[in-house]
Amino acid sequence: MTENPSLVGKEISGCEILNKVAEGGMGAVYKARHKALNRIVCVKILSPALANDKKAVELFLTEARAIAELDHPNIVNVYNVGKEKGYYFIVMSFIEGQTLSVLLKKNKVLPIGLVLDLFEGVLLGLDAAHAKGIIHRDIKPSNILINPQGQAKLVDFGIAKKVNKEKGSTKTTELAGTAYFIAPEQALGKDLDTRADLYSVGASLYYVLTGQFPYNGKNTIDIIQKHINEPVPNPAKLRSDMPGWLSLAVQKLMSKNPDDRFQTAKETLQYFKKMRAEDQLRVKMGNSGRAIDLGEEGPLRIVKEEKVTTESIKKQRAEQAATRKPTTSSSSLPLIPQGETDLSSTLPPKNSKQPEKGARMLEAENVKPVDVFVPSKKPTPIRFLSEDKEAAPMRTLTRFIFFLPLFMVFAAAGSYLFYTLGKICSVHVSEHAGLVTNLVMPFFAAEYAPNQTGVSLLALGALLLIFASAKLRAFSRSTTLLLILALVSYMAGLFTPEIPFMNLSNVGQFIFTPEYYLCYLVLAVAWAIGLCWTMNRTLVQGILAAALVILGMVLAYLSAHLTIPPDSQSLLVKILFYASIFCAVLCSYYLISKNERERLLFPCLLLLVGIGGLWAYSVSGLAGNINKTLHSLTSLIVVQDSDTAKANEKAEKMVGLDSRRQVFASLDKTNELTHLSNEEAYAFLEQKINQEAPNIFDDQTRPLFIYFLLHYYRGGNSKMQLAVWDYALSFPIKNFNRNAQKNNAYFFLILMLYAFGTISCAGTIFFSEEL
Amino acid sequence: MSSFDIEFAAVTDIGKIREKNEDNVLISSDLGLGVVADGMGGHSAGEIASNIAVSVLAETVRKVNNQQLKIPDNFLPRLDPVERKLLMAANLANAAIYSTAQSSDIYRMMGTTLTGILFDKDCATAVHVGDSRLYLFRDNKIVQITTDHSLAMEHVRRGLLTRAEADRSKIQNVLTRAMGIKKNIEFDLLKFPVKVGDILLLCSDGLYKGLTENEMANLLKEGNQTPIVKLCKHLVRVSNENDGQDNISAVLIKILPAKKITFKQRLKRFFSRS
Repeated sequence: MTENPSLVGKEISGCEILNKVAEGGMGAVYKARHKALNRIVCVKILSPALANDKKAVELFLTEARAIAELDHPNIVNVYNVGKEKGYYFIVMSFIEGQTLSVLLKKNKVLPIGLVLDLFEGVLLGLDAAHAKGIIHRDIKPSNILINPQGQAKLVDFGIAKKVNKEKGSTKTTELAGTAYFIAPEQALGKDLDTRADLYSVGASLYYVLTGQFPYNGKNTIDIIQKHINEPVPNPAKLRSDMPGWLSLAVQKLMSKNPDDRFQTAKETLQYFKKMRAEDQLRVKMGNSGRAIDLGEEGPLRIVKEEKVTTESIKKQRAEQAATRKPTTSSSSLPLIPQGETDLSSTLPPKNSKQPEKGARMLEAENVKPVDVFVPSKKPTPIRFLSEDKEAAPMRTLTRFIFFLPLFMVFAAAGSYLFYTLGKICSVHVSEHAGLVTNLVMPFFAAEYAPNQTGVSLLALGALLLIFASAKLRAFSRSTTLLLILALVSYMAGLFTPEIPFMNLSNVGQFIFTPEYYLCYLVLAVAWAIGLCWTMNRTLVQGILAAALVILGMVLAYLSAHLTIPPDSQSLLVKILFYASIFCAVLCSYYLISKNERERLLFPCLLLLVGIGGLWAYSVSGLAGNINKTLHSLTSLIVVQDSDTAKANEKAEKMVGLDSRRQVFASLDKTNELTHLSNEEAYAFLEQKINQEAPNIFDDQTRPLFIYFLLHYYRGGNSKMQLAVWDYALSFPIKNFNRNAQKNNAYFFLILMLYAFGTISCAGTIFFSEEL
Repeated sequence: MSSFDIEFAAVTDIGKIREKNEDNVLISSDLGLGVVADGMGGHSAGEIASNIAVSVLAETVRKVNNQQLKIPDNFLPRLDPVERKLLMAANLANAAIYSTAQSSDIYRMMGTTLTGILFDKDCATAVHVGDSRLYLFRDNKIVQITTDHSLAMEHVRRGLLTRAEADRSKIQNVLTRAMGIKKNIEFDLLKFPVKVGDILLLCSDGLYKGLTENEMANLLKEGNQTPIVKLCKHLVRVSNENDGQDNISAVLIKILPAKKITFKQRLKRFFSRS
């Protein structure tokens, strides 16, 4: 196609090429204007791919010359044949009309008289060609042109097909002839004679009369083999107005054995004419008995003939069937020589099955693979209602009765236990220390209250139980809440030891005051984390979780809000702020859009980092202020390294202790304060501060700074920083603790968490089908 | 990779009367691959089609081995990896030929047969389309493993022609399946175990037109001790003398017992793999 677009507009053999009409395997057909005659012609050009094949070219030319000799009204005329400008061409008359197949498609049903008129022309043309020894080989409706005068003209006169066939040993995927109209002997590759064309005429007649192909199949091979093998169909079954003689004639033309057909085109034509004349006579004579006799005389005779032929077909088929059996078994499956292995038993089925399998799979290639992971359906209440079984609600009810009280008792007992533990540990709470230190230190305190060990062990057991309860599906969603409940109970005991357990007397006054911000924060975060954990979140749940994340961020900012503005000068603090905002946004996005089974922890982590970051941002001003003061203090106060330290160093040098020990020794600062007790060190530092900076601190803040300085001189700068940040971060909580003494915020929080956990547990029992 | 040593030999000959050789063969002991392709189509298209077929096939197998190319997960997931690799390579080769054929008038209607075999462990996997053949010679008997995709053979399968008739038939060269004719074609995929002493013969139609199966078996039997390269040349020469109407190609593969690997070689192999 792309090879010779320039042909249009060119001149070949005195013809100006106008445009391309058709394109075939062997060449292209162009509409052209013969300059000398000023007449529209048709130019067929041999495909350049075949132009180098001498044999092909030779046949192309001889065949064309033979047709040129024919000069028959029912065969398209050839004016000129030759080679010009490297192209082999045939100049033919251009027929302004349409092919029979197009005509059939347009009209669905063609009148029998018209069909017979056309085919008489076809037979005349064929007869002329056959007389010259030319076999068309590809008679089909699309090769029969009908000009405006209603005259049939045969085209595509075996040129390409003969080339193909005569090439002999050249491989091809195209069989000469068209599958729907091919003669059996042609399909079998046997020697052909003119009777093959008559078969194709029969098949074409069948198609044109009935609108259906004589044989249909799932592929070309199937159709071809039906031509060889299957009984001749009866066209009269598909068209009621078909005269009996015509149906039989078509069947006779389509006989498998060429000897059973009409032997020549002329014979066929004469028979057609005779029978049509008889038909017409019958019509003319009306319904007189004589006419009927006359009319029936013909068909009867033919029926006799046909009977003979169909019988012969049957006989032939029986013979074929007899010879077929042995060949099938011997040829289809290869046998492998037997060795020790059982090769032959495994191979043949594979050999025969594999291609089919491959075919099926190739078809399935474009189909999207089915997701293997099918998310478990989220059960809905509607589902419960629609279930006919009475058992399902009953089962849910029993679960309610069993699991819910269990959870409530477990949660209440747990929180009381942790409260008690906190109360015992509250003895060790240091006023100046931060939250982390206060939560952890009591466990390491040297002096234990008499019953602490027992309660600690119980609490540890309860903690294990909480973790274990995550395995129980009814409690699985409440595990986070239980953990938070335990922590809050412990803190309640630790920081408000004076208030009896679950004293809620003042709660009502404070619920809508900013003092409870921290309570709401804990609730929001607990809920959000619960949703983060949820597998297969729905969109609503996702949006809810995202909203809670944003609410949590706002509450974190409000509850950690101090009068000292954040230290926005520091780059680190700025980064912290933006990072926490980013984490929160990412978390919300993740919760709404993603639902990955493997990464349940990820959004939780993002949420915690986000809230922690914002919290740290809020208190950064306080930490910065403390650090500044401490920095100036440490530069003012001079603490001398102790003599013992120097003595140790000397001794080590003399003895030659290994360097590793020296490094360790230098990490532990030894100075004047090292060997003093806490009280002595405190007094020492107080004295120093009074000397160097007498008016900076009041009585409340001085002990705090001495606490930090103690960390500095005993542990170094990093230890002090840790203490400062711990203090700053827990400063809002310290405020909260102070308020909690009077507003019972802890117990409000415990109550809320308890209620929330119970609801969550109930929801799990209700919505989960299998517990 | 393989528990055998495999020797490969390949020969292709233009024949007595053809002006060009449209066959292409390829052997690669690295990949454990042997291929024969017999091109068709006028001009030089046949050569090109068969060349694309063997080169794309080998290149794809190499790329998949080197993990430069990944077989899509949804590509026939039920087959084993070697079968998928070979089939994907064949499909890619077909697509390459088809698109080349569509690109130019000269190449239109070009196509090729393809018979390839890939060894893995103690199994051979063959991919096949067209009328080239794969024979297995074992215990002094020769057996055709593949079935020809020709109209004549299709008739034989249905019992419409006998095998002898088919061999003389004019439609012998009409293929029912070939690469490059359609966008998606169906390949035969065959997997079978091989054992020491087996000889596999891949050949184009030129070879078996000049040699009957008995003659092949006799030649292979007699040449049991000769090196397979010589044997392969001998087969092609004899076929050419008998017929020679077409291009003749043969790939001969012999399965030998595995040589013992020295410690040094093993080390070398270990490092080259990692």
